[in-house]
Amino acid sequence: MLKRLDRSDLEKLLSALATGYRLLTPQRLADGTRLLRPHGEGALALQGEPVQRKPTEAFFPQHDPLLRIGEQGEVTTCDPPVRPVALFGLNAADLGCIAFIDRFFADPPADDHYLARRKDALLVGLTGFSGPGGDVLPPANGMCDLELLAFGQNWLGVPWTPRGEALLEGFPDGEQAEVEELLESARTRGNPAQDLLEKAAGLVASEVVPDDFWREVGDRCILCSGCNLACPTCTCFCVEDRQEQAVTLRSRVWDSCQFDAFMREASGHNPLGTEALRTRRRIHHKLAADVTRWGEFGCLLCGRCDRVCPTGIGIQAVAAEILARFGP
Amino acid sequence: MPPRSSPTKTQSIYAPRPCRLLSVTDLTPQEKLFRLQLNDGSDLGHRPGQFVQVSVPGLTEAPISVASSPDRHGFFDLGIRRAGRLTTALHALQPGAQLGVRGPFGRPFQLETLTGKDLLLIAGGCGLAPLRSLLQYCEDHRNRFGVLHLLYGARSPADLMFKEDLHDWQKGACFNCRVTVDHSPADGCYDGATGLVTGLLDDLDLVPGRTVAVLVGPPPMYRPLLDALEHKGIAKESIMLSLERMMRCGIGKCGHCSIEHLLCCQDGPVFWLPEIEHLRGAL
Ligand SMILES: Cc1cc2nc3c(=O)[nH]c(=O)nc-3n(C[C@H](O)[C@H](O)[C@H](O)COP(=O)(O)OP(=O)(O)OC[C@H]3O[C@@H](n4cnc5c(N)ncnc54)[C@H](O)[C@@H]3O)c2cc1C
Ligand code: SF4
Ligand code: SF4
Repeated sequence: MLKRLDRSDLEKLLSALATGYRLLTPQRLADGTRLLRPHGEGALALQGEPVQRKPTEAFFPQHDPLLRIGEQGEVTTCDPPVRPVALFGLNAADLGCIAFIDRFFADPPADDHYLARRKDALLVGLTGFSGPGGDVLPPANGMCDLELLAFGQNWLGVPWTPRGEALLEGFPDGEQAEVEELLESARTRGNPAQDLLEKAAGLVASEVVPDDFWREVGDRCILCSGCNLACPTCTCFCVEDRQEQAVTLRSRVWDSCQFDAFMREASGHNPLGTEALRTRRRIHHKLAADVTRWGEFGCLLCGRCDRVCPTGIGIQAVAAEILARFGP
Repeated sequence: MPPRSSPTKTQSIYAPRPCRLLSVTDLTPQEKLFRLQLNDGSDLGHRPGQFVQVSVPGLTEAPISVASSPDRHGFFDLGIRRAGRLTTALHALQPGAQLGVRGPFGRPFQLETLTGKDLLLIAGGCGLAPLRSLLQYCEDHRNRFGVLHLLYGARSPADLMFKEDLHDWQKGACFNCRVTVDHSPADGCYDGATGLVTGLLDDLDLVPGRTVAVLVGPPPMYRPLLDALEHKGIAKESIMLSLERMMRCGIGKCGHCSIEHLLCCQDGPVFWLPEIEHLRGAL
């Protein structure tokens, strides 16, 4: 069941979403970047570079209250908001990142706190000619409830789940043929960054990258933690208690493996005691350890860490350097 | 108002279960033994080698190994060193105090593979606390095992944990128990062995093919011990060790305890040596 939506259909779809969900849509900020914000707060920006801030924060926020402990030790969990969230306008990389952490948090023992937020949430992919300057984006491959492929002044609606199907009901039928050219161009484009990542991952996993390299790259790191905080597949957290009168609010807060204290133990022992070890961990974890543990890369090439790192050692920059220096 | 015995409306994996402090005993100047009971009276349901997350409101949580056998019913023991804010707060508690625990978590000592074997049980420092759950289990099921060697090393006589237990283990027939301290003070009150725990292995009679070694101690203890065990002919496949790392959640989510692709809290803390020896930062 494919549907063809024009601009007024799209508005209809958005209002339907806004009644059932806390709807977040991509909007342009004054500095020219795009951000997912509550629908209606600003003008829609359906075309352009990826949104700032990781969309995974809708399910795993930076400061995430877990539970309250009362004066007598009684525990109450912090429940998710009653209205589930709908994220509109996600590209394939961000959808891949959400799928990655969905699997991570659902892995037994399941993180009930994450799943409670995620369970009723809705994901709308936006692909087709909606990249920067109208560039074609890779397809979502089913990682969302419904996908909108932008072409011309229209969108082809592709439902991937029963909920997506219900939302598209009533719109005029569309034809696969209309987007054949688009899909073909997305298919044949190839992804040089993916290529680079895979080759670098092979070198990292086979331990041909020497410690001197990690020391050199680590020396450039200023421990700002931006790479981790920006990354949609980074899930590390620390735990914080705040007390107000006799009630304790226990929350989890994003943490960064680039910090010296990340693994430091009470004894003083620190398995990640140098910037070289921590930089290696950041890259090795995503390109090698995640592959061993989960069978997939922990990097979906969303591009955020390379954009945010003030010293130019985001994952693609480091991968390129590894390939240039230790590749064939 | 009496403390409520069960959490209100929650079974979240992050919710501590309420428990009561039954007694506190000094073990060393830095370590105390805490005996606890879940408020609902049930057993903790742990296996030797597992740990709990002890919750102190305002100070978050700390992972602590269970120091008693699951077959000693109605309570569970924790041997806790005063290391920082949370453990200092625990040391100030009096019997009757309310606490919270989550767990038990982690992969325990694999009792099935230990059955029928000679065991070489080696603890360093604080490591005797986690090992004690297995030692008590061995005592309670003595006929399941062959010869049981217990080697324990601490920094000084004052640092020896579980002195009463050690006394019983040395006097009793269950274990071939040897104890050493790195340095003994000049006051002459200590008449036991001195030197590193590795030294206790030198003249120990072992049958390598029948022996499984279990190691629990601080990170610097492992390398020299592994060399000494190799010297004694103990195969790597017969060596189990417990690795402790910084942990926040205990359930494989917070990321702090990772060693390459492994997570100490889920895949460990107890590992077989071949599982981890090749991993950067493991030993
Ligand atoms: C599986 C496991 C079992 C343990 N069993 C015992 C035990 O039986 N007895 C015992 O005395 N200690 C044990 N520890 C160590 C104990 O958890 C730390 O000493 C304790 O967390 C220190 O907390 P603190 O707040 O008092 O110290 P702080 O000075 O506040 O410590 C600094 C911070 O680092 C964290 N931290 C520091 N070191 C560790 C560490 N090794 N593991 C986890 N978090 C750490 C703490 O959470 C704390 O917030 C165990 C650790 C692990 C991982
Ligand atoms: S590009 Fe960087 S921020 Fe994006 S998923 Fe990969 S590692 Fe994370
Ligand atoms: S963003 Fe760059 S400088 Fe900042 S912590 Fe990450 S690697 Fe280091």
